[in-house]
Amino acid sequence: MLTEQLLSIGVNHFLTISVILFALGMFAVMTRKNAIVILMGVELILNAANINFLTFSKYNGGMEGVMFSLFVIVLAAAEAAVALAIVINIFKTFKTVDVSSVDTLKE
Amino acid sequence: MDQTLSGFGTVFVFLVLGIVFVAGGYLTARMLRPSRPNPEKNSTYECGEPAVGSAWVKFNIRFYVVALIFIIFDVEVVFLYPWATVFKPLGPFALVEVLIFAGILALGLIYAWVKGDLDWVRPTPNIPKMPEMPNRRIGKANG
Amino acid sequence: MFEMPSGAEIQSIISILKGGAGFFVPEIYLSALFMVLIILDLVTGRKNARFLAAVTIAGLVGSLYYIFKQQAMPDTEFFFGMYALDRFGIFFKYFFVASGILAVLLTVIDDQLKKHESGMGEYYALLVAMVVGMMMMASSTDLLMMFLAMELVSLSAYAMTGYLKRDPRSSEAALKYLVYGAVSSGMLLYGFSLLYGMTAQTNLTRIAMVLAAHGYDPLVMIMAVLLIMAGLGYKMGAVPFHFWSPDVYEGAPTPVTAYLSVGSKAAGFAMLMRFFFVAVPHGMDMYVSPLHIDWLMILMLVSAASMIYGNVVAIWQKNVKRLLAYSSIAHAGYLLLGIITMDQLGTQSVLVYLASYLLMNYGAFYVVILIANRTGSENLDDYRGLGKKMPLAGAALTVFLISLVGLPPTFGFIGKLMIFSALLSKGSLFMWLALIGILTSVISLYYYMLIPLNMYLRESERPEEGVVETGMGAKLVTATLMILTLYFGLFFQPIANYAKYSSVLFGAFLN
Repeated sequence: MLTEQLLSIGVNHFLTISVILFALGMFAVMTRKNAIVILMGVELILNAANINFLTFSKYNGGMEGVMFSLFVIVLAAAEAAVALAIVINIFKTFKTVDVSSVDTLKE
Repeated sequence: MDQTLSGFGTVFVFLVLGIVFVAGGYLTARMLRPSRPNPEKNSTYECGEPAVGSAWVKFNIRFYVVALIFIIFDVEVVFLYPWATVFKPLGPFALVEVLIFAGILALGLIYAWVKGDLDWVRPTPNIPKMPEMPNRRIGKANG
Repeated sequence: MFEMPSGAEIQSIISILKGGAGFFVPEIYLSALFMVLIILDLVTGRKNARFLAAVTIAGLVGSLYYIFKQQAMPDTEFFFGMYALDRFGIFFKYFFVASGILAVLLTVIDDQLKKHESGMGEYYALLVAMVVGMMMMASSTDLLMMFLAMELVSLSAYAMTGYLKRDPRSSEAALKYLVYGAVSSGMLLYGFSLLYGMTAQTNLTRIAMVLAAHGYDPLVMIMAVLLIMAGLGYKMGAVPFHFWSPDVYEGAPTPVTAYLSVGSKAAGFAMLMRFFFVAVPHGMDMYVSPLHIDWLMILMLVSAASMIYGNVVAIWQKNVKRLLAYSSIAHAGYLLLGIITMDQLGTQSVLVYLASYLLMNYGAFYVVILIANRTGSENLDDYRGLGKKMPLAGAALTVFLISLVGLPPTFGFIGKLMIFSALLSKGSLFMWLALIGILTSVISLYYYMLIPLNMYLRESERPEEGVVETGMGAKLVTATLMILTLYFGLFFQPIANYAKYSSVLFGAFLN
């Protein structure tokens, strides 16, 4: 019984992957200084949520999760577009995309 | 366990087949080919051009601008595909909806176009001066 | 898995969509306005900022008519439970249109934006897009719609924050806003996905039903609620999700700062109320014990931390925009007090407080812009002696600041009074929160009053300048905002009544 549960891919495997992705994304966001890498971390977080939605949609039935993930993909792209535009502007102004060195606003 | 493969079994078979396929290709090539290396052969292949500089160069920032605009139209397909699968039963209503959707996106493209974000401004080329350029003169004469 | 629906089903889907569009008119109208602004920007020439501002204001005022027509409609949920029309949402629609109009008025006088070389076309379009997004944040009843609305607001806000492309402060503010915003929206989404996994529903009312019927794992629930709180707390600018706000408020163009501090904050609160009142309500007999600690306790801690942190750190601020940023963190704490009570009185008080916040915060920022246009800075030291040079602006700013402290006879006093009385009507349970609120208000008196102190009692280093003229329109707006702040401080009954009438959420049972 236990081996069977371990050997067949079930909801827990997907959720584990999603949690790992989420943790990796959070890790990237918290430790990295490069704005682009931080945004890549955010993409990981969004995709972790996407995996969750698809998994739950498959195992709970219903199409809401699939729909949700479609919209999330598109939104991630839109967010990436706006984000890259801002980062390009930062690069033009500061000649760096290092978040910690773009820090002139301080009391 | 019964005879059918579990989910992991399928993945495992795929993995093994993949490794065998790639490794087999390399192995056969290694056994058949003669080994006569020279510096020209060992250099990176870059479409026949001699490789210049490191691979880690900063790309021109204009590529990113085009990429930004591309992204929007790239993911548009995500919405068009589900629409296309149910287009026939939904009829004219869905067509109008998608036209509105595409129209808004087209407006965005027109905006970027008119504002000049699509213009590919060539940088003024900074050609190093050479002592003599016979080839160039020939090229000009020819046309 | 997916079966093609039959012809009759499709006809019913189409008719539902068409029927729903009838309840969606203000949003459609404003989306059209958004596109009209973009087209107008393309067809008119370079110097079109004033024209576009006029069109934006006219368009926003026009949308009030469609919102007004919605008042006659019954409370309903449409688009397959994606969206609700209720009095709560209508209140916020008025609120957001008003904040959009005021943001345009602030933009028109701002010298920094006036000098912006690549035009103002996108700016007004983004402003309108944000109004639409905020309306949808307040009215969405589905996780998907909530997420989309929030992203619409966020994306427009990022672009508006970084609108002054050549100004490093504006670019930096945009980057910080973006990084924090992207992370917190990702966390919110992950929280949504957990909630969806627990209930297999995305509609808020149905989520509540499934949670009540089948129970849930408290650990997963608290994870989901914490993640969702992170996303919403970011929009509200509450501690500990506030890190972006001082930098962004200081760096962004001042009209955008005002717009963010009122509009997107209020949208965050509207969404928070709808989410927590409808999806995971507490106080029903069946699950008092687990949910009681759950989110109410979290909100109480967030509220207390926001009030203390915002007010204490504001004391040391030398930049007025930064000072107002910290004060806005503190105000998020006060607003949360009204939500914690979980009843109609609390909701009403939050709505009244938001209305007062709209007037006084926009007013304060309006005068800050007028002063920055003259002195070129927002530093507290440069406010010396301005009381004599700009008599009307100085008096108005004093009134707005008194209102922000929450002293009579201003609108801000009414808001605070209602929040505290709603809190105390719940008995001694929330006494400690009320005490924190009152004590921190006393602290806020100190730093707010530093500004009038500098303006009136300290001499300027350049006393030779005479009275500075600000222009007729600016005077009119300043005076109107000041008079309204005072007027509603005395005759608050109509607004309080309307807020009470509006504190009805679709699918929520408030006692």
